[in-house]
Amino acid sequence: MSAAPPSDIVTGAINRGFAARASARLGGGVLRLVLIVVALLWLLPTFGLLVESLRDPAQFANGGWWNAISHPAQLTTGNYTALLKNHAITGSFFNTIKITVPATVAVVLIGSAAGYAFAWLEFPGRDWLFLLIVAMLVIPIQIAFVPVVKLFGSAGLTGSILSVILFHVAFGLPFAIFLLRNFFAGIPRDLLEAARMDGAREGRIFFRIVLPLGLPAIASLGIFQFLWVWNDLLVALIFQPKSEPLTFALASQTRQFGSSIDVLAPGAFLSLIVPLAVFLGFQRFFVQGVMAGSVK
Amino acid sequence: MLSTRKIIVVAIATASLSTMVACGSSSPAANPAASGGSSGGPAAGAPNLKGQSFSVLGQWTGAEQAAFQSVLDQFQKQTGATGTYTPTPGGDEATVLGAKVAGGAPPDVAILALPGAISQYASVKKLKPVSEAGQATVRANFADEWAKLASLDGTLYGVPVDASNKSTVWYNVKAFDTAGVTSAPTTWDGLLKNGKTLSDSGVTVPFSIAGGDGWTLTDWFENVYLRTAGVEMYDKLARHEIPWTDTSVTTALSTLKQLWGDPSLVGQPDTALKVAFPASVDNTFKAQPSSSVVYEGSFVATTIVGDKNPAKLGTDAKFFAFPSIARSKPVLEAGGDFAVGFTSNPAVQPFLSYLATPEAAKLLVSHDGSGFLSANKKLPSSSYADPTSGDLAQQIVEVGDNFRFDMSDQAPAEFGGTPNKGEWADLQTFLGNGDVAAAQQRLERDATAAKGWS
Amino acid sequence: MSHAIEASADTAAVPAGRASPAPRPRRAPGEARWLAVAFLAPALVLLSALVLYPAGYSFVRSLFGDDRAGGIGSFVALGNYREMFSDPGILKALKNNVIWVVVAPTVVTMVGLVFAVLSERIRWSTVFKTVLFMPMAISFLASGVTFEMLYSDQPSRGLANAVVVGIHDTFRPTAGYPNVHARDATVMTGSAAIGYTTIAGYSAAATVILPMAGLDLTTAPPSSAGPALLPAAGAGPGGLYGVIWNDFRPGGGGHGNTVDAGELGLGGMRVQAVRDGGGPADDKVVATATADAHGVFRFPTLTSGSYRLKLPASNFGAPYHGISWLGPNLITPAIIVAYLWVYAGFAMVLLAAGMASIPRDALEAARIDGATEWQVFRRVTAPLLAPVLLVVLVTLVINVLKVFDLVFIISQGAGANGHNADVLATQLYSAFSAQRYGLASAIGVVLVLLVLPAMAFNIRRFRREDR
Repeated sequence: MSAAPPSDIVTGAINRGFAARASARLGGGVLRLVLIVVALLWLLPTFGLLVESLRDPAQFANGGWWNAISHPAQLTTGNYTALLKNHAITGSFFNTIKITVPATVAVVLIGSAAGYAFAWLEFPGRDWLFLLIVAMLVIPIQIAFVPVVKLFGSAGLTGSILSVILFHVAFGLPFAIFLLRNFFAGIPRDLLEAARMDGAREGRIFFRIVLPLGLPAIASLGIFQFLWVWNDLLVALIFQPKSEPLTFALASQTRQFGSSIDVLAPGAFLSLIVPLAVFLGFQRFFVQGVMAGSVK
Repeated sequence: MLSTRKIIVVAIATASLSTMVACGSSSPAANPAASGGSSGGPAAGAPNLKGQSFSVLGQWTGAEQAAFQSVLDQFQKQTGATGTYTPTPGGDEATVLGAKVAGGAPPDVAILALPGAISQYASVKKLKPVSEAGQATVRANFADEWAKLASLDGTLYGVPVDASNKSTVWYNVKAFDTAGVTSAPTTWDGLLKNGKTLSDSGVTVPFSIAGGDGWTLTDWFENVYLRTAGVEMYDKLARHEIPWTDTSVTTALSTLKQLWGDPSLVGQPDTALKVAFPASVDNTFKAQPSSSVVYEGSFVATTIVGDKNPAKLGTDAKFFAFPSIARSKPVLEAGGDFAVGFTSNPAVQPFLSYLATPEAAKLLVSHDGSGFLSANKKLPSSSYADPTSGDLAQQIVEVGDNFRFDMSDQAPAEFGGTPNKGEWADLQTFLGNGDVAAAQQRLERDATAAKGWS
Repeated sequence: MSHAIEASADTAAVPAGRASPAPRPRRAPGEARWLAVAFLAPALVLLSALVLYPAGYSFVRSLFGDDRAGGIGSFVALGNYREMFSDPGILKALKNNVIWVVVAPTVVTMVGLVFAVLSERIRWSTVFKTVLFMPMAISFLASGVTFEMLYSDQPSRGLANAVVVGIHDTFRPTAGYPNVHARDATVMTGSAAIGYTTIAGYSAAATVILPMAGLDLTTAPPSSAGPALLPAAGAGPGGLYGVIWNDFRPGGGGHGNTVDAGELGLGGMRVQAVRDGGGPADDKVVATATADAHGVFRFPTLTSGSYRLKLPASNFGAPYHGISWLGPNLITPAIIVAYLWVYAGFAMVLLAAGMASIPRDALEAARIDGATEWQVFRRVTAPLLAPVLLVVLVTLVINVLKVFDLVFIISQGAGANGHNADVLATQLYSAFSAQRYGLASAIGVVLVLLVLPAMAFNIRRFRREDR
């Protein structure tokens, strides 16, 4: 089979003359300008937070962060050194990784398998089960705290890192399955049919066709799950692993009776480093075409 | 910013994670000693709790957490029991503690800022009574009223840890000098008159009201009510034995309205209602202050220092006692935290007893920047890091039983401890519109709707 | 390889909605069933234990009341639901949730789509995507605090109002003496908001004193204010005259209604004269004067008769304070903007991933055939992206239903106004914090029920696919 483009695309070629090319070039300039403005606008709050993180706390009450631009003397790295002086912060980086990485990998693997089953395996009650899982997306986590604390208590998991990971995985799965099922369903059927005809087992099809083809979706799922777990405080507080994650350590630096921007702002940037690195590392999977890492 | 919101809510201690495991695997010598540990407080020869571990979780962060950590470290040095402290900052304390208790994994020790919560947990048998040794330590070191606050039906469930003096009015000395106000007011009328003078001297908002944080408004009301209605009525209203529509409440709210209802003293109500507590302090003590007076408890000092305001404590920033109203006698409003035990972990009761000793109190208050005060009678005021804190604590100790605990902290959290709900919201509405009768109606309606009055 | 290209090029022409057909089983049904179990088992075990069981528990719990300290009370059937739907706070939260669901997901998805498509066409798309993604990586706490500051009422602290006030003051500079007021009620009545009028009438012979107060003495005085001067009798061109000054000496000690050394004249104050003795109807301004730097004002034309003097309110114009972003009306839109800032990156990344899955060949083929970019987008990209668009939209609808962190944190900047931003999730949280687990569970159940429309939509879509 070959692609059969709709007919008006073909006719479009005839009309495409000098004027169209010129307007395209002009449009390109405008587009670039618009995107630059958008990017600056999006950067502005982050930039404000960054400047705030570098300001002497004594200046906070006197004016907004932009004052530091005209008075660079207000800038200091003191907030960062004060945070990093605390060994709990540096240690908690690893604790957070110990929670975040397994929780992300598990969601991606379990979610992909289930997403594949929902997209490409036939079994009774499939659609209803899938809808049930979509409905689970909306269940607020607070609802689960009391019964799950009981459950973990009777399973002897109280206070373990595993309990935190399991909770994150369970509450990450509905979104993972929902997302991946819909992405996987978009994989050309003939590809799978052909593989099945060739006698490939489902496991092989899953690993050799579905996973590579679904890579952009899996990568985005991975990064989001990573972020959600990375920035979580409440779940960690409830299930309390012995080794405190970064959010704990940062929160314990805030002051009870004051504004704590001098802790929150540099804390936000310290905790931003790893997720941003992960995002940049995954970046190529988003933009890579589907064929790049495909079958055979 | 965030973390300041529910200061008054709850502090928590966490479930012991590995007590049983630690017990089983520790050295053979430790166990007999540990089992005997609950019979005697550490003051009378520290018990050997080697190998025991318990974790503590509270709402203290920053310097306060560091101060509490030094107490835990000292306890470990004396007994061998390791305490791990984790804070639940912001508004998460009540959520976390509630879920853990309801989920059947209660913490060993909890630190509660709400006497109301102590009696609630005690009434459903979630708390363990304080050991005899602990009781003796508390009786010896604290005024009876403190023990009463942490008791239910005569049984002591909690140990006072820190205290705050909530009858302090803080002022900017320079602003007073500029306005020519030479002496701090001692009467309500004097306070109003000084406010007028400050306004004439060009202070935009002489009194910085943190209307954005409802709990500061409850503290205003409680100080006024304590002075216009007296201690006995205060106790009755605190237990909701008299309705909020009572004439004594009318008097207190009308008195309050003399100040709150005057835009030349407190600024536009709409604006005041957006000011959070830290901002109310910063507005008074920043480089170009817009206010001169801020009322709140002793922890105003912590905020002045913590937010790096240029005003120096004791020279540029001073406090005076909440003024007398209609020749009322001096009386103090106090707040504070109590440690309570949830489990029978052998380290719990010795630790509670230890917290009630002057030695532990000294560690807490002498830590730089913690702002902790103690109601411990045996603690000399020279133990404090700065003279202002010493003065504040002195007042708490000297009044003995002549103080009353924060009323809203004694009420069910639904009424007295939830942002934008109950008493907090009703007083915010009152600050906005000054309607005394409507405020009383609303307060009574919300108080009646709340569950769990003791 | 070529095999794959062909197959996927084929799907490029498949219209929306039919991109995911149900497979025809090629194996024995029993085997497929076992396979399905193997693939689903880990997910189902975790979900039933940690999500489904708590959900069921909550449903049952919602039928029971709340005892002290979070204990389970007696069976109340639908009592918690009745309480919920009679609580004005929860009803307002429900209303806000509707606004959120109607506005936020659509706007975010559209913005994300535009960015995803446009960023494909620039060379620095990685940079652009990283910039837009960054808000996702910042914790909600930090983003919340960032926007809380951004929306601050004080123009000195909040960027939004700093910009608004800056623009406003460029076109309409505020003049006058904000906060200045009559020192007391012995000479004048009125207020800064409505202006002041003297109690007595004055005639040309007397020197009128208008004692004011409230000039900020802690900062340098405005250039218009100089040392106050009591004009000597008989000096000057004659007529009615007087002084208006800040009757307050720094450090105190000044005498009331007396021009003391060190007190400042309020230069630039506009004083109006009206005829005295007439009723309110005779309020016509007969003359206007402006005070000089010493606070001295003169009405040379008023040589006979008695006049009362007025200070119009415009003298006391308070500076413009900008817009109350977190006020009752704007707070929810303001928080939705913050949500857009955070989640546009989410939508963009997912949609970009969707676009990455579109076979290049289909796009290239269309382009080679001479289609404009708009035609490529409409005829090829959009149909193929439809399933992903739907995923993003549904995810956002559900996410918005339980939106919590941003609302919780930003609304704190609004102080007492914060409750105007309440949504169901914040109400659930406060019920949960107050250990009203029955009520909290009821709110949770209602949240799940609210997602039913989105599910019904999905069911319809499945049915279509199956056909």
